[in-house]
Amino acid sequence: MLEKPDAGDLLATARSLLLHALLPALPEALQFQARMIANAMGIAERASEAAAAPEIAPGLAAGIRAGLHDPGSATHAATAQALRALTRARCAVSAPRSLQAPQG
Amino acid sequence: MDELRLTDWLRQASGQPHLVIRQRWLLAGGAIQQNWALDVSWPGGEAAWVLRTDSAAVLDVSLPRAAEYALLRVAFAAGVTVPEPLFLCEDLSVTGAPFFVMRRVAGITAGHRLVKSDTAGGGRHALVRRLGEELARIHAIRPPRPELPFLGAPPEDAGLAFIAASRAALDRQREPRPVLEWGLRHLELTAPAPLPAVLCHNDFRTGNLMVTEAGLTAVLDWEFAAWGDPHADLGWLCAPCWRFGNFLREAGGIGDRAELYAAYEAASGTRAEPARVRWWELAATIRWALIAIDQAERHISGTERSLELALTGHLVPGLEWEVLDMVEAANA
Repeated sequence: MLEKPDAGDLLATARSLLLHALLPALPEALQFQARMIANAMGIAERASEAAAAPEIAPGLAAGIRAGLHDPGSATHAATAQALRALTRARCAVSAPRSLQAPQG
Repeated sequence: MDELRLTDWLRQASGQPHLVIRQRWLLAGGAIQQNWALDVSWPGGEAAWVLRTDSAAVLDVSLPRAAEYALLRVAFAAGVTVPEPLFLCEDLSVTGAPFFVMRRVAGITAGHRLVKSDTAGGGRHALVRRLGEELARIHAIRPPRPELPFLGAPPEDAGLAFIAASRAALDRQREPRPVLEWGLRHLELTAPAPLPAVLCHNDFRTGNLMVTEAGLTAVLDWEFAAWGDPHADLGWLCAPCWRFGNFLREAGGIGDRAELYAAYEAASGTRAEPARVRWWELAATIRWALIAIDQAERHISGTERSLELALTGHLVPGLEWEVLDMVEAANA
């Protein structure tokens, strides 16, 4: 058993300290880098807590390119759903805000 | 940078034998290029210049300095708002890398700030119209242009060429990208008939526009320019990924799409076809995802360890989400 707090907790706590205590005291020239660090810690925190993203079926990418899942095919709707599920799981770690954005 | 060598070279290039560099500092931005501000003077005169050169990371798809310089000259002559290009140096013994010098113009480039401002660039309406006019001037540059040999022959079908190039890029990746394949297959099934090629800037978005409160002062970063379909630039500007959260202002996060199209049509005399722009908007999203994958790969492979490059890779899932939205909307 690993000691608590776990990776997600440590990253969240350290990130909060960075954003709330350090960032306001940093000169403007360094604030962009501090925000990048906070962003990276947020991604790592979510990744440490995420279930594994759905596996990509072997041959799916090639099948899409070859037109096997085109509109009108029997597998089109299921493929669209599978891609949504995969991308939702990837966004939940890398870019959760993109799941909330209004449609362009 | 050896300032004595540079001074000597600038004296020859400018024809000012007593020119001196008063001040030199590195300007912000540019993962690929470095821009140095130069304040120079000579007896009876002074000037504010920018020296543009390569930094460590050079993307394979970007044009070298000499080509960018030639493009700036053509664009400047066509009335596009660009910094006036002054001198090109391809002699590596001067600074260690090719560079060119252009006039320095006032303003800031900050896409995320620009989309939040109602006054920058002369206000949203004026700025959106101006962007349409600038694109019209860029697209008035048509092949053949002997000064731009590095652009090669124009593609017979810019849309199909984009799909082929993107698939080749995907085939170089370590992981399959089924969502990007999904978007590309949709593009293939819905590709519009080709148009005569024009010069496309290919990175025309708020982050590459320099503005003051009074208006646009420069269209920057020409290293992706190529012959193509004019709608590619309109689609790139309107793609959701360049609205910086200002999703309802579909023209680059600044203003209305209709106002952009109207200004473009008035200045160019050709119609902006909405469906064709949408096609290129999806292409733009896929293209940015492919660039982001390449940038992250520079970090992952150790070519250039960088947190900024690493984080760019994490933009890809959000772009894939937009690809799915766009394909779904088009199929509905």
